Amino acid sequence: MLLESVAYARPESLAEALQLLGSSDSAAPLAGGQSLVNVLKHRVAQVEVLVDISRLDELRGIEVSSDGALEIGACVTYDELDRSEPVRSSQPLLAHVAGHIEDQQIRCRGTIGGNCCLSDPTNNLPPLVVALDATMVIESSSGAREVPARDFFHGYFATAVGEGELLRSIRIPSLGSGTGAGYSSVAVGADSKAIARAAAVVRANGSIEEARVVLACVSPAPLRHAGMEEALRGSQPTAEAVSDAAQRIGDDLEPLGDVHGSAEYRREMARVVARRAVLQAIATGGGQRG
Amino acid sequence: MVEAGTIQTIEVTVNGEKHRATVASRQLLVHFLRDSLAMKGTHIGCDTGSCGACTVIIDGRLTKSCMLLAPQADGAEIETIEGVAPDGQLTPVQEAFHEQHGLQCGYCTPGLVMAATFLLRRNPDPTEDEIRRAIRGNICRCTGYVNIVRSIASAAAREAA
Repeated sequence: MLLESVAYARPESLAEALQLLGSSDSAAPLAGGQSLVNVLKHRVAQVEVLVDISRLDELRGIEVSSDGALEIGACVTYDELDRSEPVRSSQPLLAHVAGHIEDQQIRCRGTIGGNCCLSDPTNNLPPLVVALDATMVIESSSGAREVPARDFFHGYFATAVGEGELLRSIRIPSLGSGTGAGYSSVAVGADSKAIARAAAVVRANGSIEEARVVLACVSPAPLRHAGMEEALRGSQPTAEAVSDAAQRIGDDLEPLGDVHGSAEYRREMARVVARRAVLQAIATGGGQRG
Repeated sequence: MVEAGTIQTIEVTVNGEKHRATVASRQLLVHFLRDSLAMKGTHIGCDTGSCGACTVIIDGRLTKSCMLLAPQADGAEIETIEGVAPDGQLTPVQEAFHEQHGLQCGYCTPGLVMAATFLLRRNPDPTEDEIRRAIRGNICRCTGYVNIVRSIASAAAREAA
């Protein structure tokens, strides 16, 4: 397939990349390209300059800080997340989710930063980074700024990354004791496009002390469900209590229906995946009862 | 600072042989392999990254070559189906596809051989589930996959022997 004519540059530093991106109104960063190349083929976006950021050392590392937090460069691929020892040991769920995105070819190219910055509501990682309370580090020529993941996703294909900025890294705090994470999807097929997703992080010590429940595919951006979180707080970590709390997900959700599922079906599935994600979080955090 | 340009000079190593070429920045790697290097073993099926017929291995990464611009491969080592058996001796994967009837029309086969080769390098003794997950990105419209999965399992057993 023939793309529209486009210029390409592969800068050698982050500073140079930012300069190139600032040089044209229609410059776009190219990381793994597993979505962008198709966008260019279909000519649905006007891009005149592609700035290939995929090899920048500044965006390629996975670092562990003394408090156990992970700092993951924006151009780390899904396959690298899946196979990284530090990620597997401190955030096994992130490694697992990354290892089940689409197929091996996409996992060898697609990046954590691209998955987040595209902000497609069906993407795998946005609800997870919100649930894990990650911090997004955004770089521009005037320096770095930090945005909590919960404020990063603005809606369909829109994030906090503005013109002249690049997502540099994603910092994920360690879960802490008694805390577990869970993730569940109802998808069209194995490891494919989702109809509903949920990610959850739960801290329990006899009873549930804190819960973050994040829904995806049912709103323009990942949605923390305050009602279900409130219902979980203070309740027993049992299947019955979690099921009851999931009933708080209801008419407040206004998902779009499409060929894969009606709005009503998505709302129902949101309850199902939220319940499963919370139960998994409880089980992996070690707080399961009955 | 590097300049952005619609034409790029790239240098790639394909199956051990160095190639230097001038390409349009918009050229997909699969077209570069097929049209500029005349290596037609890498097939174009869907052209949208869905079917995996154009799968190659680039610097140890399994990649659909229709989802990469040729300039993105600058400096890379690329393995294509033509390089799998350089001396004409079939590899265990190829032998197994032959013996286990792992192909019918053969259109998807180059991509599947690359995906299977990649899998067995990483995981010489895969389970059936691991084999099926490893070829998740490769579509075959003839076989129903049963003989393909059998071929890859058989290749693993053959390599272990």
